[in-house]
Amino acid sequence: MPDTGQDRPTLGDSLAARGISRRSLLKYAGYLAGLMALPPMASRAMAEALAGAGRQSVIWLSFQECTGCVESLTRSFSPTIEDMIFNLISLDYSETLMAASGTAAEEARLAAMEANKGKFILVVDGSVSTRDDGIYSTNAGKTNLAVLKETAAEAAAVISVGTCAAFGGIPAARPNPTGAVPVSEIVTDKPVVNISGCPPIPDAIAGTIAYFITFGKLPELDHLNRPRAFFGDSIHDRCYRRPYYDKGLFAKSFDDEGARNGWCLYEVGCKGPVTYNACATLKWNGGVSFPIQSGHGCLGCSEPGFWDQGGFYKPLSASVMGNNAVLGGAAAAGLVAGAASVAMARRRRAAAMAAASKPGETK
Amino acid sequence: MAHDAGTGAALTGMVDSLMQEVARALTALAETGTRAAIDLRSLPLTPADRDQLAARLGRGEVAATLDVGGRTEVWETAYAGVWWQRHLGAGDHVAGETLEITPLPDILQSHADDIAAAALRLARDLHDTKETADA
Amino acid sequence: MTVMGMSLLDFARGPAINTAMAVFVLGVLWRLVSLLGLPRSVDRSRPKAGVPSAPMAALAGIWRHMGTPRGFGPMSMFQVFNGWIFHVGLAVIVFGFAQHMLFLKGLFGLSWPVLPTSVITLAAYVTLASLVAALVRRMTHPVLRLLSTGNDYVSWLVTVLPVVTGLLAVSHLGARYETLLALHILSIALLLVWFPFGKLMHAFLVFITRAETGMTYARRGVKT
Repeated sequence: MPDTGQDRPTLGDSLAARGISRRSLLKYAGYLAGLMALPPMASRAMAEALAGAGRQSVIWLSFQECTGCVESLTRSFSPTIEDMIFNLISLDYSETLMAASGTAAEEARLAAMEANKGKFILVVDGSVSTRDDGIYSTNAGKTNLAVLKETAAEAAAVISVGTCAAFGGIPAARPNPTGAVPVSEIVTDKPVVNISGCPPIPDAIAGTIAYFITFGKLPELDHLNRPRAFFGDSIHDRCYRRPYYDKGLFAKSFDDEGARNGWCLYEVGCKGPVTYNACATLKWNGGVSFPIQSGHGCLGCSEPGFWDQGGFYKPLSASVMGNNAVLGGAAAAGLVAGAASVAMARRRRAAAMAAASKPGETK
Repeated sequence: MAHDAGTGAALTGMVDSLMQEVARALTALAETGTRAAIDLRSLPLTPADRDQLAARLGRGEVAATLDVGGRTEVWETAYAGVWWQRHLGAGDHVAGETLEITPLPDILQSHADDIAAAALRLARDLHDTKETADA
Repeated sequence: MTVMGMSLLDFARGPAINTAMAVFVLGVLWRLVSLLGLPRSVDRSRPKAGVPSAPMAALAGIWRHMGTPRGFGPMSMFQVFNGWIFHVGLAVIVFGFAQHMLFLKGLFGLSWPVLPTSVITLAAYVTLASLVAALVRRMTHPVLRLLSTGNDYVSWLVTVLPVVTGLLAVSHLGARYETLLALHILSIALLLVWFPFGKLMHAFLVFITRAETGMTYARRGVKT
């Protein structure tokens, strides 16, 4: 095995030690290049870069969340190329996945922070409670708010995994009792990447981390700090049912002729046109399907405030928060204003006619 | 999924331009040794397009199946130097698919590091066998 | 893009369109009631013999103004023909597009069959061209130019903006879809606010004035 002269063994070394060949790395790099829309010829150089890199230390903090995001990343049927990410990282702290618990677990986090100061990636799933100093979500006697501030201070970059961490998600939905905020509102002095979705597509989580390990920097981001490679197109743009939308063929309910024919789900509330994610191309469960293919409209789960957008089954263009009281008031005001101007006109005419007639004579 | 009507059946004519690109890359490989690769998954090919591309490129003398973090299929097309490489991921769905214009795809070669590691392992295994035999 | 902490789209289809609809309802009722409630002078003259009844005269007046009287020049013909094109075009777009039907269904609960997006897009381009032709004629025709006021140009602008922003939104040109959709809704809000106070109010008044004209002319024995 070649001696790299580094303190930490390189990824190439640690993979070789586990009987994972460089072909796997090459295949993974090719897979990654395809995912992130990088030139295919880059995969060889990427494989070399990965082999020479150290295993990336990752600290994973879970706040106000449901563990769906961790499930998304760790779901797996057989050892596959998608799972390669777990060979590339050293997951030094994750309450869900680590064997240690209690004081030992907390010590592991502090030890990893100390050993990889300024170099580790901090992954957060779940939103951060801020009301009453964040006491509504605590762990090991510390609030999420305090642990996030303490850990993020030493991180190289922060990845908010899932819509809760990225945009507040369900905990931040009205009336937001815990004062939940996204990670990016607390961590403002570091790059924060948002991998939104409820849950996010596993390839998007793994691809972003692998990109950082390979290139030592974050991928190109959109205006909501999401990697463009995964969030560049709307579901609608890439939807296989798009031709039906263009032809004006819509399912009117979930069990009508249109639904059976696989027509567009716009009228039953699909939020595909305003939702940016890769579900329509990468799909779910090993590429088996995605919600629209299974007959349900997109909920828009990777967009900010998706929970409070006026109803999952309301068509996008009908989502006007109409206010009948305001309209009724406006109608009443219009009638009163009209009646007032009529009365004024009649009074003015009466006065004019009175002036034109002889004094004392009225019409 | 049965409802792919309208997106799956039609030929888009993209294969014609793709074949031109392959021809240019293959000429470059023949004249200067420059290698190239085309990511098929990044192109909006319909299933019909894909079948047409496979038919026009044909099959050559070499085909290999690799067991590398899931299955990988590599075959040389009827045009020497044009290889079709298909990586399969979870549930055997296509995780990556490229046309490699190269004398030999990288993934078929043994990497120097793997060779070095194998040499060490073989020497150690022989040593262990000798010790066992001696004991 | 955010306005006061909410996305531009939320702002457009929340406060903006609601306020605009309220202004529209208030303004239209105000103007209709104050116009129709005005005291009218009784016509004391005796009508000509053999003239049609008032309702028939009103209908005839409305019908007569649908086209151009014989003897008018080709430019007048163009003006009326062009007017028909963009009015029908706007109706096709407003009522034939699925998304618009759904919007109206959300407001009034009625739904009806719709047209394919390609037909709507074609109608929108024709309408746009027709509106541009109307503007060009207004700005080049010496008399029409003299007659035109700011009211005419603003009314033209608030009519053309929804068509342009709608076309951009459907074809995803220039910005992200949600931004374009928000701009489209905002352009509708602008139209609704301007509607009762500008010349767009003709949508409600046109048949009243034509009926009135028809009845007055008929009473005086004007033949067409």
